[in-house]
Amino acid sequence: MIDNFNRFVVPNLDLLAHGLWVTVRICATAFAMAVVIGAVACLIRLYVPGLRYLAIGYIEFARATPIIVQLLWVNYVWPDVFGFPKEVEWAGIIALAIQSSGYLAETFRSGIEGLARGQWEAGFAVGMPASRIFRRIVAPQVLLVMAPSIINQLAVMVKASTLVSVIAIPDLMYDALKIVNQWFEPIEVLTSVAVIYILTIFFLSAIAKRVADYFREKYGLAAYA
Amino acid sequence: MPETLRQSLDLSLFWEFRYTIAIGLLQNLYVFVSAGLLALTLALFIGLSRVSRHRILRILSTGYAELFRNTPEFVLLIWVYYVLPILVSKLLATRFSLSPFLAAVLALGVAYSGFLSETVRAGIQSIPRGHVEAGLSLGMSRFTILRRIVIPQAVRRMLPEALSQFVSLFKATSIVSLVAVPDIMYQISMINVDQMRPLPLYTGAALLFCLVIVAASQSINILSDRWRRRGWA
Repeated sequence: MIDNFNRFVVPNLDLLAHGLWVTVRICATAFAMAVVIGAVACLIRLYVPGLRYLAIGYIEFARATPIIVQLLWVNYVWPDVFGFPKEVEWAGIIALAIQSSGYLAETFRSGIEGLARGQWEAGFAVGMPASRIFRRIVAPQVLLVMAPSIINQLAVMVKASTLVSVIAIPDLMYDALKIVNQWFEPIEVLTSVAVIYILTIFFLSAIAKRVADYFREKYGLAAYA
Repeated sequence: MPETLRQSLDLSLFWEFRYTIAIGLLQNLYVFVSAGLLALTLALFIGLSRVSRHRILRILSTGYAELFRNTPEFVLLIWVYYVLPILVSKLLATRFSLSPFLAAVLALGVAYSGFLSETVRAGIQSIPRGHVEAGLSLGMSRFTILRRIVIPQAVRRMLPEALSQFVSLFKATSIVSLVAVPDIMYQISMINVDQMRPLPLYTGAALLFCLVIVAASQSINILSDRWRRRGWA
């Protein structure tokens, strides 16, 4: 087994490192997009009555469709219908962003709705307009309270990103499967890659937990979280 | 409406192949039910071990839950399908292989037992300690307390959360096509190879999944509300 490890994993470390880099790049881009889209969808759902049902439809669609279905859908259908994405990597990023934005929108919403009404009332009482109350009082608290959930969503996204190999994006999983199909010695390569993924995700979950504990201690946020 | 958009929303092709697609969907359900039962059984034992009095059991079960909660389902599926048979063959010194279906059920069952065991643990821990003590003071054995006092109450509290885990499990069954279980995505790829019309096929698949899962989660919401009103959950 050590022999095979030296034969199949060690010489391919460069390839696997590049795969990991692609995974990181895709997840980072998709996550940034997901946070923005999720926030916009959440705000529309809560505060724009005319477009409310559109936002609900989008959020439900994003959450109810499996990531693999979205990947294939974006990859095969979008280029013909919308004229983009031109590269598979962007198809993967868009699909991951859609999925996570749905979950994040619901996270933000539960944060906003869970915030005590008194916070709004206090703002109105000192004569602040609603937009400023949202910006100065509501949004910062919601972001703090929801920080652990938001980081957890990043861990979920890394898990889901293993599937982008299906549309031939050369991420970590894709490279691993390539090596497996070349030599037909799956044990060492697949186990190493599984360990890399588990450690990455474990690390992100651990950060989420630390962040949660830190905020709880510093601001006593658990009271209304 | 642009031509391509009209094409993607034209579901006549979907209708033409409705039997093939329905068979695929049944396969999804089959994987879902089998993996769900496996996950539930495992989760019950793991969840109970996590609140056990024995430290070793607690450590082992926590490790198990953390490991499988943090493993991507796809990696687990591929690992179970490719690596596990080789390891077992070497261990037993016989030829051993897993059918795609069994690999899928095993991988998804184990993955979701990790999530479900958290729910089970939370459910059991939500039962006030006084209930156990009351049982002990009546001279009931620990097992009887578990069976007659803790589990019936815990199950009611767990139900809404557990059901939403099952919805996620159903969503996750869409990846079994990647180890060639003939599920709905597999059938759709096959029809696509035959007809070369990805637009309506993949749009239809997305809409179908969306429909099934929104229907499932809405009915769960309604049921959980009813449970809550009765004071069950």
